[in-house]
Amino acid sequence: MTRYLLRQLSLLLVTLFLLTVLSFSLGYWFPGDALVNLSGVQTLDSALYQQVASSRGFDSNILVQYFRYLSHLLQGDWGVSLQDGTPVWNEVKARFPATMELAVLASILALMLGIPMGIISALNLGRWPDRFLMGLSLSAYSIPVFWLAQLFILVFAVNLQWFPIAGQINPLYNIEPVTGSIVLDLARADHPAKSAALVDVLRHLLLPLLVLAVMPATLLARLTRAAMHDVLRRNYIKSARAKGLTASQVIFKHAVPNTMQSVTRDLGVIFSFLITNTMITEVIFSWPGLGSWLIRSIYERDYPVMQAGLLTLAALILLVNVLLNLLHAWRYPQIRQELYANA
Amino acid sequence: MLSEGLLYCAEGNPESFNPQLVTSGTTLDMTANLLYDRLIEYSDEAKEYVPALAESWQINEDGTEYSFTLREGVEFHQTRYFTPTRPLTATDVQFSFERWLNTDHPFHLISMTGYPFFSAVGLDRLIQRIEVKDDHNFTIHLHEPDSSFIANLATDFAVILSAEYGEQLIAEDNRVALDNLPVGTGPFKFQHFRKDVSLSYRRHPDYWQGAAKSERVVFRIIPSDHKRILMLLTKDCDIVPYPPARDLDNLDARDDINLYSTVSPNTAFWAFNTQKPPFDDVRVRQALIHAIDRESIVKAVYFGHAALAQSILPNTSWAHFSDEEAYTYDPVAARELLADAGYPNGFSMNIWALPVQRAYNPNARKMAELMQSDLANIGVQVNIVSYEWSTFRRRLADGDHDSVLIGWSGDNPDPDNFFRPLLSCAAVQSGSNRARWCEPRFDRLVMSAIRTADRDERLAFYREAQELLNNQVPLMPIVHSMRYKATQPYIEGMHLEPYGGTRLLNTHKGQP
Repeated sequence: MTRYLLRQLSLLLVTLFLLTVLSFSLGYWFPGDALVNLSGVQTLDSALYQQVASSRGFDSNILVQYFRYLSHLLQGDWGVSLQDGTPVWNEVKARFPATMELAVLASILALMLGIPMGIISALNLGRWPDRFLMGLSLSAYSIPVFWLAQLFILVFAVNLQWFPIAGQINPLYNIEPVTGSIVLDLARADHPAKSAALVDVLRHLLLPLLVLAVMPATLLARLTRAAMHDVLRRNYIKSARAKGLTASQVIFKHAVPNTMQSVTRDLGVIFSFLITNTMITEVIFSWPGLGSWLIRSIYERDYPVMQAGLLTLAALILLVNVLLNLLHAWRYPQIRQELYANA
Repeated sequence: MLSEGLLYCAEGNPESFNPQLVTSGTTLDMTANLLYDRLIEYSDEAKEYVPALAESWQINEDGTEYSFTLREGVEFHQTRYFTPTRPLTATDVQFSFERWLNTDHPFHLISMTGYPFFSAVGLDRLIQRIEVKDDHNFTIHLHEPDSSFIANLATDFAVILSAEYGEQLIAEDNRVALDNLPVGTGPFKFQHFRKDVSLSYRRHPDYWQGAAKSERVVFRIIPSDHKRILMLLTKDCDIVPYPPARDLDNLDARDDINLYSTVSPNTAFWAFNTQKPPFDDVRVRQALIHAIDRESIVKAVYFGHAALAQSILPNTSWAHFSDEEAYTYDPVAARELLADAGYPNGFSMNIWALPVQRAYNPNARKMAELMQSDLANIGVQVNIVSYEWSTFRRRLADGDHDSVLIGWSGDNPDPDNFFRPLLSCAAVQSGSNRARWCEPRFDRLVMSAIRTADRDERLAFYREAQELLNNQVPLMPIVHSMRYKATQPYIEGMHLEPYGGTRLLNTHKGQP
């Protein structure tokens, strides 16, 4: 396991390094002055310009510039926005938790919906519950997330008036944004109407979460079904049955854990899809996360913000994939054996 | 908790919290009448100027000395960053005015955008000095008489700040906070602002006109007009300004939405950057104007809820003069003019489309698209440009545009408000002259018009000025429109004024 851990960590480091190289190069590839693109400092004051240039190594060669860029990144100096001059890192800090809140809660919801659906389908292969669930998942999978969001807004918010459609909470509750994640902010806030505020937060969360969870849930259902179908044909299941275990013992002790092995492997890919959809959902539901910020910065050619947004989201996806690989290898020893055999 | 606050869904971020620094209606709506007061106000009911912070005023015979007496016991906001120790005095007025008057003032150079309204109307050159007599009496000395002076004092821009707060900021070496963490005397005080998300105000309990009816006001920043109307329908917003024209009939017909409207002297226009070729050639400007079918714009963009404009000055003004000939739709004449000017095969240009919805232009992008196809007919290729609102304004002031679709809402009922801030040479410097058009003859006419108080004389000058505009066409007036706000049915005390930014003093939630 240690060897595998080290391999995964070095892979993570190398990829993160390449990511920062790419992000740094963007400064040169975007039109305009690379120094301005990287630092966001626009000034006619040449003394100030010189100061920024020397702090970022622009009086030296490109290698020095890259390492200065890296050290600025690590110190939390991500430059300032070209549009309003606010420090990019402050925005990242406030927005990242909001994005994570949506992504994590939607992942949990997707797991809770998708895996049972897949199991039920596999156990009833070819019969009506299977056909119904797979039909449902195919149609849900085919709906683009922006369209689904509009549909939900029209039905549940405009016609039925059950849910609000923008933001994290009714701003009149006056919850001070500290972490950026409304659930955490509310939990730590000392508020006279906490339970009413919590209900309001849940009402704000439900529609974006549903919209986001649909796609990963249907993917998970199909993956689980296929994996379970495969596992159920294995000899160890047959022998478990032959030993006289009850159906539920066979399923929950033997079939489901082994099914989860291959499902875990694909969670990383599903998470990447989920993050892309989170960005779109944030725009539609005015959620103050990284996605809506990144998309606006693209419209406005705000290069420091674009770099920060791309770097953060790419690093997040990378990190989640490595962690899932580690979890996979730690949880399922046979995977490690396969890896070592190949190595 | 929820019943004591108002949710106002605004169309963009405020650029600043100090109206002295801006001309944007979005910012004025969110700051001018909520955080601040002026010396005097214009009352549309009485059709005259009424006392506000100044209780009374006298003008000397020459019209060059205005003596004011201030109201007593006017309290400034107490906030987490400032605690006032004294009520309003004449030094606060001096501090506020000298900020934009006097280049040596400690806060003068803090503004990155200058003081566009004051420099455009020339107030900074008109006022000679401000003489403080005692705590509540002061005199403003002018270099020459100006019939629009009182009107300009009543605009949203002429707000009164706290001199004591200024001293505190100098001591803290944090002068930029004057415009970002505002302190005023208005009915609401600043609480916090998160860009792109929301802006919160709390009631100022000691407001001199009596405390506001609502404990809190929260502005949610929602740039999409479609989204704002949806949020009105789902009760995510209590008040929605500038509902899009396409929804007006529908909103009016609904029982569960109140729609308010008022005349709002405003003009949407298309300004050419007359300092950039080929727009420096009057024939090119005329050709472009004759290529545009303005009638179909009124139908498609305003759904008929606007009047076709024949002058930059709204048709409600006493000095309005219309010339049907100057702006007619005539593609044949347009082609001839273009060929005359040396562009028989046309050229390519950009149109900057206002990115926010204003009363005068609910959908500039759509308007630009209609104009794009009209102009293609005479061989002019159009590229439509847009940025986020604060960026848009900054680059516009830099003169990066070929032409721009924008407009102007009257700040006061004086006709001068539509001429000097928009088209004078001084306004080119301050950046509010979108056409960057400087014509000494025009400047002489509008200056002569304000030096006299006689209405007939002024009318003659304004008529000549408008004729000059119709000949030179630095901009094409498009429409004059109404101002609308839509609210939830349980919102009470809504009252729309024709001039100036939003007022919410008496607005509150009633029984749902």
